[in-house]
Parts: sequence; structure tokens; C-alpha cells
Amino acid sequence: MLVAILIFATALAFIAVERGHRTVVALVGATAVLLTQTIDQETALHAIEWEALGLLAGMMIVVRLTETTGVYTYLAIKAAQAAKGRSFLLVLSLGAATAVLSAFLDNLTTILLLVPITFLLADALDIDPIPLILIEVMACNIGGTATLIGDPPNIMIAGATDLSFMDFIVNLMPIAYLTGLIVISALYFFWRKKLRIAPEARARVNELDARGAIEDPAELRRLGPILILTVLAFFVHKPIGLEPATVALSGAAIMLLVTRQNVEETLASIEWATLFFFVGLFVMVGALEHTGAVEQLANGIVDVTGGDRTAELLGITWSAAIVGGVIDNIPLTATMIPVVEQISAGTGDDAYWWALALGACFGGNMTLIAAAPNVAAAAMASRNGHPIGFVRFLKVGVPVTFFSMFMVTGYILLRYA
Amino acid sequence: MMIVDRLLRDVPLLKVDDTVGDAAKWILASGAPALPVVKRDGRLHGIFGEREFIAAIFPGYVSELKFAGFVRQSLDDAIQRRSGKLLEPVGRFANRERIAVKEDYAVAQLAETFLHHRVLIVPVVDAGRQVRGIVTRSDFFATLVDRASPVPPPSDAG
Repeated sequence: MLVAILIFATALAFIAVERGHRTVVALVGATAVLLTQTIDQETALHAIEWEALGLLAGMMIVVRLTETTGVYTYLAIKAAQAAKGRSFLLVLSLGAATAVLSAFLDNLTTILLLVPITFLLADALDIDPIPLILIEVMACNIGGTATLIGDPPNIMIAGATDLSFMDFIVNLMPIAYLTGLIVISALYFFWRKKLRIAPEARARVNELDARGAIEDPAELRRLGPILILTVLAFFVHKPIGLEPATVALSGAAIMLLVTRQNVEETLASIEWATLFFFVGLFVMVGALEHTGAVEQLANGIVDVTGGDRTAELLGITWSAAIVGGVIDNIPLTATMIPVVEQISAGTGDDAYWWALALGACFGGNMTLIAAAPNVAAAAMASRNGHPIGFVRFLKVGVPVTFFSMFMVTGYILLRYA
Repeated sequence: MMIVDRLLRDVPLLKVDDTVGDAAKWILASGAPALPVVKRDGRLHGIFGEREFIAAIFPGYVSELKFAGFVRQSLDDAIQRRSGKLLEPVGRFANRERIAVKEDYAVAQLAETFLHHRVLIVPVVDAGRQVRGIVTRSDFFATLVDRASPVPPPSDAG
């Protein structure tokens, strides 16, 4: 057990301080637990959550194929234009567009799509782009919490449980969108002077030609209906007896069948590094589980909380937010899933999963390195001459995370305690 | 004379500290689509050409947009007012892809480089990475066309 813990802790430390590519770190860690025979190969293979990997891969293909049509850019521009140049409405509509898109696309794609458009809007409106971008990042991490496919921690939880898409929506969407609305509004008031739009600049946002964003209308006609059907299928996957990964991969397969895009290029553009990162993590966590370390951690939590359910729920959600915020919410979730399985074993009590999902997803806002969209937005801002450093992000991320977690605490106490 | 000798073009070299504006003037004066950028010790740093100049004078997000078909002419002023990179050092914007070839390069290596990289020139360097000249894509194209053209039949006249 000590070897498994040592290897996992070392890997986590390397990921947290960004020494080496996180995928390489995870794969080396997985190799280490296999070579030291901390876990045998058969068990390691079973430790990999193929459901989560299938769902991720399927959604990556769906998003890659549909984003080339320009439909998401169209939606973002329409959202911005709905504000008619008024700054509060602009912030609200961009924040809402980010939250909704991130609930159905992966968070990284959402940010990669929206940040360049936001820079353009900021130039057109002659305002500081950084408050808008930070608001989008926060909205992205909070909005992604709302659905089963919106954020990697949720995908991982779905892969390990039989919770349905509707379960996630019913339990997570209300608190995610309420928190998002308050956070976006509060950040607007904090930055309102920087976001003030001169009356003469207001009309410029309407000079964007939203229809012109549709890069390939014929491809959109081919893929659009499949995209809609795939999203609808998520809502009813449980009654029709399909796993979320089956829905995602079916949508992806049908899109690949009808698309005119190069299939090999599409498949090559999948984030293989992310998928292999997950594989490495699952094997390392499998070793923790196999050696009994997870059971000890779960027992430790039960001991600390004295077996009090409310204390356990709050302990899981707060530790997920803080630890996930300091390292990375993906390894945190991978570790916590078997712990939560142990704690909630046989009870059929789903509240533990919602506590974990809310903590892990909302914790993604705490630091620059806590979630992939944060890093991507900071890199793009830096390339555009507006660096967002670790401390600058922290000054926004910490208050937002703590406020969000107080909202979550109230929600858990009201709904699940 | 070998094809590789005919392709080598002698051009002025840009230094990493030259400004983007000066670099653009040197490029125009040289007649080449891009020029090598060298470090203070004369070793190759990268290349700077038409594509890099466009990337330098437009805000970074323009190249990050997936598609810019929604931007109308009326927004050009708003976008370009953010420019002002003409006084920044050219070294920051140079293309640092490893595309240089050694003096004994094969024509197939040039073909591979032009096919795999979106560059308009390939620098030719010696063993110490000192620049000996460049090969432009247009010169390479012209030479290939010349080589590939069928030899005209001898004239009956005379």
C-alpha cells in the first residue's frame, strides 16, 4: 500500500507543480505501479473506466466535427448581440452563453471558441477584455457542472455509477445556474468601471455578421440534426437503455458516416493526451484501491465525521473543492470516486456523488492550474498582450470558489441533509 | 551546375533585435518573401516573412479565431487600432520551426520541407548554423517546372 501511495503522491506533486506533461506523469505512475507489482495487469485493466473514456472520446468527435460548421460561434455572437451594447446585459449574455455551451461541450473547447471572439468584442466596444474573459472562465467551470457531459469530474462519476443524464440535471443544474448567475452579476459589479461601454461604441457589436460565422452551411445541415438528436438522446438514455458513452459514440459514428470532413484528421484531432491521462490515473487509483489505501481513506473520513451523513457530505464537497483547486480536479475525482463508493456502499444514497461533483467542478475556479480552461484562457490572454498571472487569477478564483462553496453548503443542507 | 547550387540565394540577414517595421522594409527591398533572423552570434534564430508580419501587426486573437467570416469591414479600424507591434523586436515573431537545411541538402529534403511546413523560404546553414543563403519556394517551383518540362524537339530550320 505504501508504494501505491508514494507513487500516486509523487505523480500528484509533479502534476500540481507542472513538472512534466501531466499525461506523461500519469503514464509513468501507472507503469511504476505495474512494474512494482503493486497492482497486477488484469486488475489494472479492470480499473480503467472504459465508460468514461468512451463518453469523452465520443463527445470529442462530436464537438470537433460540429465546431467546424461555425454553429457555436454563431450562438456566441447572437448572445452578445442580444445585449444591444449594454454592458451588464453583455456580461450576462456572454456568461450565460458560456455556461450553456460548457454544459454540452467540453469546457476547454468552449473557452477556445469564446475567448478569441471576446477579444474581438472588447476591441469593437473599446473595453478591457480581461474581466470578460475571467467571467467566462468562471461561468464555464460553473456551467459545466450542470450536466453529465459538461465537466470531466461529472463524466468520471457517470462512468463509475449508473446515474443518468437527467439525474445530473435535476440535482446539479439548479445550484449550478443559480450560483453562476450570482457570480457573473457580482463580478460585473466589481469590474463595472472597466466594462463601461461608450454610447458611440454600442452599435459596433451589431456589426458582426452572425450568419457569416457559419463556415460550412452544408455540413451544418448534415451534422446539425444528428447533434440535436444526440443531445436529446442523452436526456432519455436511461429509459431507452443506453449508456451515455453509447449515446456519444453513436452520435460520433453517425456523424463520421455523413460528414465530408477528413475522418483521419478528425480522429487525429481528438485529445488523445487527455484520454491517456485518464488511463494512467485510473491505473494508479486502481492500485490505491487494490492495496486498501482507498478503504483506509474512506474509513478515516467516516471516523473524522463520526459517521454523521451531513458532515460526510460537507467534508467530501469542501475537500474536493480545495484539494481539486490546488492540484487538478481530474486526479482528485479519480481518487475520490472509490472513496465515495466505500462511504456510500449499499446505501443507494446519491447525495454523496452530488457533493463530490459540486466540489470538484466548482473547485476548478480556485487557481489557474485547477482546470484546463483556466490555463487555456490565460495562455490566449498572454498571447494577446494581457497576461493573467497565477496571483491575478487567485484574487478572483478564491473568492468565487469560496462563495460558490457556501452556496453548495446551503444547497446540501437544504436538499440532502 | 547542380540544381542545389542554382537555387541558393544570397540575402540580407535580420537580427533578432531589429524592429518588425525595419524587417518588413528589408524584406520588400530584398525581393524575397521572407528572410532569416539570426542571433547576436550569427547563428540562425528563425525566419520572418509575409506571414509572420501579418501575424505581428494583427491582434493575436485573429489567428485564434476558427473562422473570421463574421467580421465586417466596419470593424477593421477597431481591430487595427490595437496594432503597434512595428517597433517590437522581430525575434519575438520569427517562425522557429526547424526547417533549415545543411549545405549538402538533397532536393527531396527541400520538397519535404515545403510540403510539410507553410514557409516561403528555407534557410541553408553550415555546420555552425551560420546562414549561407536561402532557397525560396518560388525559385524551387520555377526550377522544378523547368526540369519537368519536356525538351523541345530540335528545329528543322538550319
